[in-house]
Amino acid sequence: MIDEPYRWVEAISNRREYIENELATGSPTVGLSFNDGILLLTFGRDRRKIFEIYDRIAIGAIGHPGDIERLRMMAIELASTEGFTRSAADVSLRRMATYAFSPALKQAFEQIYGPPYLARILFAEVGSAQDEDLFVRLDYDGSMHANAMNVGKRREGFGAIAGTRRGLEQVQNFLRGADFSDLRSALRAAVHAWGIGLYTADQDHPDVPEDSALKEFVKSKLEHYTLEAALLDRRAAESRGAFMEVPEPDLEAVLSDFS
Amino acid sequence: MEGLKPPDRSTGDFLALLKRHQLLGDAPPISGRHLEFKETIATTILGFKFAGGVLVAGDRRATAGNVVMYDRADKVLEIDRHSVMAIAGSPATAWEMARILEHSFQYYRRSQLQEMSVEGKVRALSKLLRDNLGMVMQGVGVVVPLFATYEKRSSEPAKLFFYDAMGAQFEATDFASSGSGASAVRSVLYYENSWGSQRLRERSRQEAILLALKALDTAAEADTATGGVDRHGKIFPIVKIVAETGIETVADDKLSDLFQTQVA
Repeated sequence: MIDEPYRWVEAISNRREYIENELATGSPTVGLSFNDGILLLTFGRDRRKIFEIYDRIAIGAIGHPGDIERLRMMAIELASTEGFTRSAADVSLRRMATYAFSPALKQAFEQIYGPPYLARILFAEVGSAQDEDLFVRLDYDGSMHANAMNVGKRREGFGAIAGTRRGLEQVQNFLRGADFSDLRSALRAAVHAWGIGLYTADQDHPDVPEDSALKEFVKSKLEHYTLEAALLDRRAAESRGAFMEVPEPDLEAVLSDFS
Repeated sequence: MEGLKPPDRSTGDFLALLKRHQLLGDAPPISGRHLEFKETIATTILGFKFAGGVLVAGDRRATAGNVVMYDRADKVLEIDRHSVMAIAGSPATAWEMARILEHSFQYYRRSQLQEMSVEGKVRALSKLLRDNLGMVMQGVGVVVPLFATYEKRSSEPAKLFFYDAMGAQFEATDFASSGSGASAVRSVLYYENSWGSQRLRERSRQEAILLALKALDTAAEADTATGGVDRHGKIFPIVKIVAETGIETVADDKLSDLFQTQVA
């Protein structure tokens, strides 16, 4: 039955709807490229969502913890074996996403007797200069969006994932006009963007709220969510891993805007 | 890059990962006719605890038989933010071990989301040495390293370990040395620690660096395989300090100043 083309399309479409529903309530993750590196920021309720993958690469994710864990381990294994057999400089997000992750996710999604990955992932790779910073958004069906991988496209200095398409679009709209030239302004913009993404993910709130209303919204969410932020430090990327925690004073300074 | 394989175990064991992907095999048995060849050997290294942490140093010479193979070899290798491995023996094997260790610790930290314990790190090196025993028994690839690290939450944070070629690990109370000039270095450090102006542990950073230079120079005096301090070529030993803030490599011009004013 399922071998008939129509049934297959129907099954895929049901599967897509199911996964989209499961992901819809996910807390957005925002990645911003600025002078000193890349900031990854999200708010979580009870588990970590931002992880180090390799010297220059980190991920943020929405989805089922089991699936996120499987994808995270695959990324670490791929990067580690490549970095060991060749060199850390040969570990590339572009190759990893294009040749390994996208096909694997697509295959799992379309084999309807097997389980799909219930996950949406934001990869970030810090470059030696700001215009080499790369963000890749990978979806459960293997579709892939990069901030810049081909010539001619205007490079965007950010990447984001959100629970719904509308939420993501609003986050992107906001970030296209936002200032994030240093860590403090990047933290502020990222918290703002996160609030917009979560607010507009809800069907009752299609539009971006006023600043004051957004502030109240974020403030109310802070009772249930805790801030999680990591840095890919451009200077540290040359020697050892670039992944590090954001200094506590910077986090407190930004959160104090909402208390 | 090869395709994705679902991980069957998630223990953070990098060696198991390498073996699963067939990137690391057992040493091939060498049998029958043996080729006569002179293996490159890295020589003298030392380590001791001082007031500011652990100092680890090594001369720069690598020899193959009576030939000086290389006079700028780096035998003191940074493994992670707080660990240093110094190597004496076959660089071919030792540098590979250092690479495996570096990746093992990183892989463990990234996959398990916690740092490997000092004991775990020390045993990881021990295991690599034991796995190498087959090669050693055939007369090549022997490595006798030192391992220094800093464990913040310990009552005695500065740690120094030395090994034998089979992988037995020994924790040094004050100092350790390895390589062809080891006995000379050991005598100097023993003498200085017992009857010198101060115990090694009480010495300042500057005094510690100075002692390392003198000890390596002493080793080079009788051992042709040890480079010591090259007064003409301005080649100085590698000196690294493992402390709470991380690893610091003492700059060449600093070593040069100290050597010229206090030793030469």
